[in-house]
Amino acid sequence: MSKVFLEQAGKTVLLMGNEAIARGAVEAGISFASAYPGTPSTEIVETLARYANVLGIHVEWSTNEKVAFEAAYGAAMSGVRALTCMKHVGLNVAADPLMSSAYTGVRGGFVIVTADDVGMWSSQNEQDNRWYGLHAFIPVFEPYSPAEAKDLTKEIFNFSEKFEHPVILRTTTRISHARGPILLGELRKPVEGEFLKDVKRWVLVPAHARKLRPKLLERWSKIEEAVNDFPFNKIENPGSKKVIVACGITYGHVVDVLKEIDKLDEITVLKISSTVPVPRKLVVEAVKDAEEVLVVEELEPIVEEKIKAIVQEEGITVKVHGKDLVPREGELTLNRVAESLIKFLNVSKQSIPWLETNQEISIEVPPRPPTLCPGCPHRATFFALKKAVSKLKIKPVYLGDIGCYTLGLNPPYRVQDTCIEMGGSIGAANGLAITTKQPMIAIIGDSTFFHAGIPPLINAVYNNTPFLTIILDNRTTAMTGHQPHPGTGITASGKTAKIIRPEEIAKSIGVEYIDVVNPFKLDETAEKIAKALKFIEEKGKPAVVVSLRKCALLVASDARRKNIKIPVYRVDLEKCTACTRCYNVFACPAIQVLEDNKAYIDPTLCVGCGDCAQVCPVKAIEPTIKPGKEWKELWW
Amino acid sequence: MKENRYKNVLAVGVGGQGLITFGRVLAEAAILNGVKVLTAEVHGMAQRGGSVVTHIRIGDVESPLIPLKGAHVIVSMELLEAARYINYANKKTLLILNRRLIRPNVPGVKMPKMSDIIEKIKSSGLKTVVLDGDKLAEEAGSYVSANMVMLGALLGSKILDGFVKLEDVEKVISRMPEPWREINIKALKLGYSSYSKAATSDSD
Repeated sequence: MSKVFLEQAGKTVLLMGNEAIARGAVEAGISFASAYPGTPSTEIVETLARYANVLGIHVEWSTNEKVAFEAAYGAAMSGVRALTCMKHVGLNVAADPLMSSAYTGVRGGFVIVTADDVGMWSSQNEQDNRWYGLHAFIPVFEPYSPAEAKDLTKEIFNFSEKFEHPVILRTTTRISHARGPILLGELRKPVEGEFLKDVKRWVLVPAHARKLRPKLLERWSKIEEAVNDFPFNKIENPGSKKVIVACGITYGHVVDVLKEIDKLDEITVLKISSTVPVPRKLVVEAVKDAEEVLVVEELEPIVEEKIKAIVQEEGITVKVHGKDLVPREGELTLNRVAESLIKFLNVSKQSIPWLETNQEISIEVPPRPPTLCPGCPHRATFFALKKAVSKLKIKPVYLGDIGCYTLGLNPPYRVQDTCIEMGGSIGAANGLAITTKQPMIAIIGDSTFFHAGIPPLINAVYNNTPFLTIILDNRTTAMTGHQPHPGTGITASGKTAKIIRPEEIAKSIGVEYIDVVNPFKLDETAEKIAKALKFIEEKGKPAVVVSLRKCALLVASDARRKNIKIPVYRVDLEKCTACTRCYNVFACPAIQVLEDNKAYIDPTLCVGCGDCAQVCPVKAIEPTIKPGKEWKELWW
Repeated sequence: MKENRYKNVLAVGVGGQGLITFGRVLAEAAILNGVKVLTAEVHGMAQRGGSVVTHIRIGDVESPLIPLKGAHVIVSMELLEAARYINYANKKTLLILNRRLIRPNVPGVKMPKMSDIIEKIKSSGLKTVVLDGDKLAEEAGSYVSANMVMLGALLGSKILDGFVKLEDVEKVISRMPEPWREINIKALKLGYSSYSKAATSDSD
């Protein structure tokens, strides 16, 4: 997207926070980067992948975060600089190698990016991954802006290499997906590594690990000392009686609020970018003569509790505020930080124009939840699935997973009764199919299947657990913006790869009933799903149906690129009876509603999948041009 | 003085209407003019045809988020979304709205009439300017360029004078590949010139 990414040093360009992190990594001279896509982290490796060949670095989409972590960790063992990126919950998947990496350390700089989704814009929780730093003895650094994200990334590669220790860069949605001006620095060339054998360091058997543990604690003490001089931490206006400690992104909010109340040059602000470990000496210096301190941090009181411990240990009498004045849940916004600061500094609301206005303007409108796109093959599968289930007169439980298809939880589909984490659909089916008599249907996407769906499916074959797995194969990682995966035949940097097919995996692990369906043939798909469900009922064994059609967004963009005309559909208003089936039961967003409740297909939104024509009971929907062979092939 | 340190532009609409591009083009133009800028946008699940919002803060700011009641101007690509985010407005906020209503994809949803929703927004007493963004975009060459029409209208309102220059926006657009370069510049200019017309007719 940003062609400016490779501009020369000295230029100031607009970059998204994630692009800035990628640039920082290239300025630091990385040789290796790996990730599994996940909002809000995706664009870091996506950007690097785009320029991998030009820069001569290896960039990959790995099968999951654990593999991505291990791959980058391996690269850093060989002495090169390596980067791995994941969303916050991805670090749960990678937690096993994370813990080990602190014991062995690394030789080349190793930066682990965790992009936390504070506010849960696109995630199942808002866990605070700074805990991982404390848990694993790995320092955590947090930028406050896109510009700082670039410089901080570069700096912590040096930090990591100096201590031969991994480091975590924690970003949040409002850093990763914010854009700002970035002053570019020089690029550094990648190098080749060499693995130096040292079994006492790299082989974590108990005898070695016991010796590495005191060394780890010793390294940690040195890191605790070093963060006091870390250049991104600073004290502004030392000496005021009330001190604000601003961690990571909150620094920007704090500065803007202090400007609004004309106290920016008056109040002591301790800016902390290394939140784990907290820079003890800086804290003492900032708060020793203060009466009250307010720690402003998002989510958990990690810095707050540490500062409370420090002042107690140092015998400093000061009242430390934090989560008593700053909300613990959700994103901190200017409004929320302003409310906290106003209470803490005891100033009037009148001093902030946007707080003093009493008049709250609001208008009630219908909600607009995110929805499956026009032409989405998942919608077709869900429609056929409901048809199969109603024909069999059964009431299955639909075990959902992470992807666009999670949106199937909403009416009219309602085919996601659970959604836990990546792979949790097949995983939980292994228990639910045993402890209940209800039919279980696990619904999982292709990328999620490769990520974490294979071990639980092997488990089902091994333990002979009867449930249906429907793999929604749209040939891409759609939700995060169409990254390739092991089933797509292409790598992150655009090289041709082997195509790994989900049904072949199912076959090789011993699934006895496997079918591959075209969801756009609604009746046929419904019949095939019903047949699979009957097999499970009769034989008491697992079955797999792969529903294979490309993501409609990819098809539409391929059509534009190849200049193939999209056979947009239209409604014959003479025939339309306003039965509402196409927009209320099938619910394609391209179908709008006219004042007489008849349907109208917006030609700017329709992608020509033709499903609505099959759904219409009076055959009032027809293509404007005959769909050609070329067009049909685009969907494979 | 505080008032002139920065401008808060809130751009709202439905996922797919080009709000990320809107924010990016505006921000790049600010940088060309030597003015600091921060934007915040939402990707991932929230984007799939849902309600979307881009914060653009131009000038002396450190936080990328616009506070509630803190927008100087709200540019809306869709009318329900304009109404949804009106809590970012205060008495002085300018509303620049595209005359378009998109039905949320919710079975059985009760849709207000276009005229009713415009009436409701206007009854808030805020200065409101409504444009036919989609129609003007088609005139420029493609309905896809409605976002650039609205960007043109924003500049036509003069609210960003001293922060962003029309010619810098044109410079940013001219880096796009054809045919978008030509269509988008046309759309931008149509939006720019239509603003004052729309503003006069709305105050009638």
